[in-house]
Amino acid sequence: MINKKLIRELLNESACSHNEKKKSSCDKPKPGATSGGCAFEGAQIALFPYADAVHLVHAPATCIGASWETRATPTSWEGENNVVMGYSTDITTNDVIFGGHKKLEASIEYIVAHKNPKALFIYETCVTAMIGDDMDNIASRMQEKYGIPMVVVHSPGFVGGKNLGSRLGGEAVLHQLIGTKEPQEIHPFGINLIGEYNVTGDMWQYTPILEKIGIKIVSTLAGDGRIENIQMAHSAKLNVIVCAKSLITLTRKMQEKYNIPYISVSFYGKRDTTNAIMSIVNAFGDAQLIANAQKIIQEKEAKLEERLAPYREILHGKKAILNTGGNKSWSIASALQDIGIEVVATSIRKSTLEDIEIAKEYVKILMKNPAQEQAQLIDEHQVDLLLAGGRSLYTAIKKRVAFVDVNQEKKISYGAYGGLENLAIDVVRAIENPVFKIVGTKAPWEQ
Amino acid sequence: MSTKPLQINPIKLSQPMGALLCFLGIKNTMPLMHGAQGCASFAKVFFTRHFSDPIAIQTTAVNDITAVIDGGDYSISEAIKNITAKVKPDLVGLFTTGMTETKGDDIKGATYLLRDRQKMVYVHTPDFEGGLESGYGLSIEAIIEQLVESRSEMDYKKALLIPNVNLTPIEVEKIKEQIDSFGFSSLALPDISLSLDGHLGKKQGNLSSGGISIEEIENLATSSLVITVGNSVANCGKLLQKKNPNITHFHFDTLSGLINADRFYQSLMEFKHISKPTPNIIRWRKRLQDALLDAHFILGGKRVVIAAEPDQILSLATSVTEAGAKIQAVISPTKSKALEKVVSQKIIIGDFEDVEKELTNADLLISNFHGERLSQTHKIPFITRGFPNYEQIGNNLKNDTLYEGDCYLLFEIANLLNHHQASHL
Ligand code: SF4
Repeated sequence: MINKKLIRELLNESACSHNEKKKSSCDKPKPGATSGGCAFEGAQIALFPYADAVHLVHAPATCIGASWETRATPTSWEGENNVVMGYSTDITTNDVIFGGHKKLEASIEYIVAHKNPKALFIYETCVTAMIGDDMDNIASRMQEKYGIPMVVVHSPGFVGGKNLGSRLGGEAVLHQLIGTKEPQEIHPFGINLIGEYNVTGDMWQYTPILEKIGIKIVSTLAGDGRIENIQMAHSAKLNVIVCAKSLITLTRKMQEKYNIPYISVSFYGKRDTTNAIMSIVNAFGDAQLIANAQKIIQEKEAKLEERLAPYREILHGKKAILNTGGNKSWSIASALQDIGIEVVATSIRKSTLEDIEIAKEYVKILMKNPAQEQAQLIDEHQVDLLLAGGRSLYTAIKKRVAFVDVNQEKKISYGAYGGLENLAIDVVRAIENPVFKIVGTKAPWEQ
Repeated sequence: MSTKPLQINPIKLSQPMGALLCFLGIKNTMPLMHGAQGCASFAKVFFTRHFSDPIAIQTTAVNDITAVIDGGDYSISEAIKNITAKVKPDLVGLFTTGMTETKGDDIKGATYLLRDRQKMVYVHTPDFEGGLESGYGLSIEAIIEQLVESRSEMDYKKALLIPNVNLTPIEVEKIKEQIDSFGFSSLALPDISLSLDGHLGKKQGNLSSGGISIEEIENLATSSLVITVGNSVANCGKLLQKKNPNITHFHFDTLSGLINADRFYQSLMEFKHISKPTPNIIRWRKRLQDALLDAHFILGGKRVVIAAEPDQILSLATSVTEAGAKIQAVISPTKSKALEKVVSQKIIIGDFEDVEKELTNADLLISNFHGERLSQTHKIPFITRGFPNYEQIGNNLKNDTLYEGDCYLLFEIANLLNHHQASHL
């Protein structure tokens, strides 16, 4: 059953910066003026990176038919990679009339028999919530029968957006997985990485560094994640939230229940990566750990600077405008500054109050209405580069400036020190590419 | 028929997604999905990535509170209010999802209440029935029934093409050009060759960026000829004839392969009492004859597995069998009469797990991009066709149809098989 009380609580989360003033962003979506995914998509983002679990979506065609194998979240799991698989009960008219519980049960049995997963996540969606299948009941019976965790995620899209869905996913993990297994030993510097999904391998850019310093990654939610590890997440000493405010409820509850404090960090760009690592070691307060970190950071930064040098030469004095949403409005700005680009303006159109506060620290001009403002700013400041979503491509062509589509599905990681070099390479390639000027020339019949 | 209780790696795409594609081929239109917000978001991302183009869509964003108190008219009228506050669409295409169909919303009534404020078409497309093809076909039917005015007079220069959902923007354009070469000025309903063809323009993605206009749609019943291509849209021709019984209707299950292209041109020649088509068409037929002969060395006897929408299965199967390939299995997400025409050892209604089982003895897989991983595991050549294709660009300009397109398809396949053979010697 959908838990109304829980949803209200998640929406009213004090840690959600919307709630200070701008209540509307956490409110219900407006018909005809809404973009963005539903709760199910949020749950999918948060949990699908567990490659050793099967993710069964109890739904008709749309929910998973259009969304499987869409995210580049790599895993090192050696068994069958369930991240790129789509499991659906494929609800039909018959199920809508007579109920989908039999099909769900049969599907679970099929999966257990053929796939041998470490756990099953079973997602409730709009139609199956409305026909009222008692999924909790089925799951707990099946869990008993087969002895593997069966986690029901009540994430029908009509309860809210992606953020809420990620929280619902987090709640399900908290109640049904975390604390269900005890580790053989408890590491003094164990951490959980929360809200890191390892998109394009971002996480792998910095986890080796953390391990070298002496930190142990106990579990992740859910980048390159393992069910067994998240079951032991309660044994970590610190929760590290990576760029994702949506899971703050989970970490707060873990603090209450298991006494695990949490910090929030970003691994984009050189300064932020260094700050992130230092925040983690400072949270432990261990002198040796801090010394290790300082030494390794120094090495890494020096090496990075060496590699960035040729790009810096090209990028020196170049000006950019950034038009994207959420935490990217400042995290990418910070990374761009780290490679020597002057960020003239950034968009805050869809940012939370907290993101706006942070953005202010990095960039002077904050665009509330970037679609209108950016063209003029390009002229005024003689900008060289526009980083935005596909809709702005036309502006870049008309203004004959280089363009990088920052909203496109990335293929390569921009995370941490290693990723910054990738960003520099991509930006240099865009700036040096003649394509924008060639495409921008007028046709002979337009002269 | 696959007997599993579930789908593992589905091929199936939903009816509302088909409806969306249809409305994107109508000029200045806002496709409005009636359901919770997520379906519209998934569909938008899906087609944006496939076409590398902004996609216009809005949602009525039904939520748990409005869902209980509302029979649909509240969220629909709110949506219209909020949409028209920002843009002025010529048409709003309203289509349902599984959720609002389970609720049993009265979209006809809601549309009626709003008739003075906004021109609309409504269509029932629950995602627990049918699939991409039926969602597209049902939407065209709704447009004909609700917008086209009944007529008795005829415009002998006017012809209408009704394509199925699998035809790419360039294929729609090419077929129209061929019809025009017989002295017509043709229209397509819908016409994605004017919106999703990947042209540079000031596309904000707020409304569909081109397509057949509402005025053109309203006057479609003066067409002298309607040509439907694909089993999934066959009924649309009959519906148009109801608006004017004088209209001639030609139906083709597919325009792929030499024999089917011949039939197409023959029908047009007879209709126009012309003994020869343009020199260009004659030339392309000769090129295809040559292409078939060149390709048959390599395609002959090759075992092909095809996973796609039914109408596309028939098209692809027809092309490759003409060059001597054997269809080992076809896997379709839904049932269709089109499949009855496919010559294949196995016809399966299923998913990619079923596809994988057929690959052990296959020489070629043709499917959407999800098949790529499977083809790599099984080390067999792979051609991407159908929705979605996130791995390649230029999906809007892939042409497999009529003489010309068939040449390109045969070359692509033959070259790939050749390359594969050479690298595995
Ligand atoms: S809104 Fe509901 S039906 Fe649509 S994708 Fe989300 S969960 Fe599925």
